[in-house]
Amino acid sequence: MAEGLEVRELDSDGSSEELVLTPAQLLRSLEQAWLNEKFAPELLESKSEIVECVMEQLDHMESNLKRAKHGDLKVSIHRMEIERIRYVLSSYLRCRLVKIEKFFPHILEKEKSRAEGEPSILSPEEFAFAKEYMANTETYLKNVALKHMPPNLQKVDLLRLVPKPNLDSFVFLRVQERQENILVEPETDEQR
Amino acid sequence: MDPAEAEFLAEKELVTVIPNFSLDRIYLIGGDLGPFNPGLPVEVPLWLAVNLKQRQKCRLIPPEWMDAEKLEEIRDQERKEDTFTPMPSPYYMELTKLLLNYASDSIPKADEIRTLVKDTWDTRIAKLRLSADSFVRQQEAHAKLDNLTLMEINTTGTFLTQALDHMYKLRTNLQPAESAQSQDF
Repeated sequence: MAEGLEVRELDSDGSSEELVLTPAQLLRSLEQAWLNEKFAPELLESKSEIVECVMEQLDHMESNLKRAKHGDLKVSIHRMEIERIRYVLSSYLRCRLVKIEKFFPHILEKEKSRAEGEPSILSPEEFAFAKEYMANTETYLKNVALKHMPPNLQKVDLLRLVPKPNLDSFVFLRVQERQENILVEPETDEQR
Repeated sequence: MDPAEAEFLAEKELVTVIPNFSLDRIYLIGGDLGPFNPGLPVEVPLWLAVNLKQRQKCRLIPPEWMDAEKLEEIRDQERKEDTFTPMPSPYYMELTKLLLNYASDSIPKADEIRTLVKDTWDTRIAKLRLSADSFVRQQEAHAKLDNLTLMEINTTGTFLTQALDHMYKLRTNLQPAESAQSQDF
């Protein structure tokens, strides 16, 4: 019996709308988020609601399985499915962490200058991780090299030094529905 | 994306199996399956089908396109056309590999099928290589290819996009001769 799960999604005009998703649709949207994150060059919007709902489903299923000790075959089938879902979830989160570690100053800068109604690109835990990573990197650089440098060279601007995500990189994309009037701009002469 | 991940995605495709055990409906998070009755065909995702076969709990039925004549037609069609023809399944390569690995006993003319699919794959990859080559030579900004499957895209995907990135960087950093500062010694 597939029950509807409530996921709060931001509508196109910014107002929050509750979408009721079946667990199967939830898994589909987790997969979409995973594939998008994998193939995009920069960190995409954080899909914390999907992550939370999936974790809830997994915990719920795990506790059901703990109680039902009989029926070896059923239990093993459920366990296999749980492993598969866990793999997608971990891969998604790991992909995001790799990008956070790669582009941390730019991500934190973007988060600081974000407008009030805009969705966040980091979940609260990721935000804490990014800040800690930044602080640790600064301390590390200071202790290993900077404090031995002459006084006027002791500052380092991580925002300038760490490479930005390459938004001009080539990507593969798949069109889900027929779209008209999409214009792909060719390289202009100014860009050459 | 590595091939193992493409296979992971392909494993969600539904295939028909004939179980030799009985089990009532199971309510997986991704959907309901069953009920399973010995001798009656039932549709399950590929990951489950392969697992059940390994435990000798079922027989796998090949999809209807996995047949020597059909595949021969597909192969000939692919050789005739310059562009990519639609494939019977977006995961034809992974399905063929998994089903022929684990269930070749229930698939008639398994070797022939393997050869036919490999021929079709080779033709398509050759077309893809030609297309990528002309994309790079003509320095286009975008290209559109229909009917490619994920596995085929993966063979050149990462290499192609990174190579194009490098070339783009080199192109946009070219300075016109007059404004370049030359070093005089």
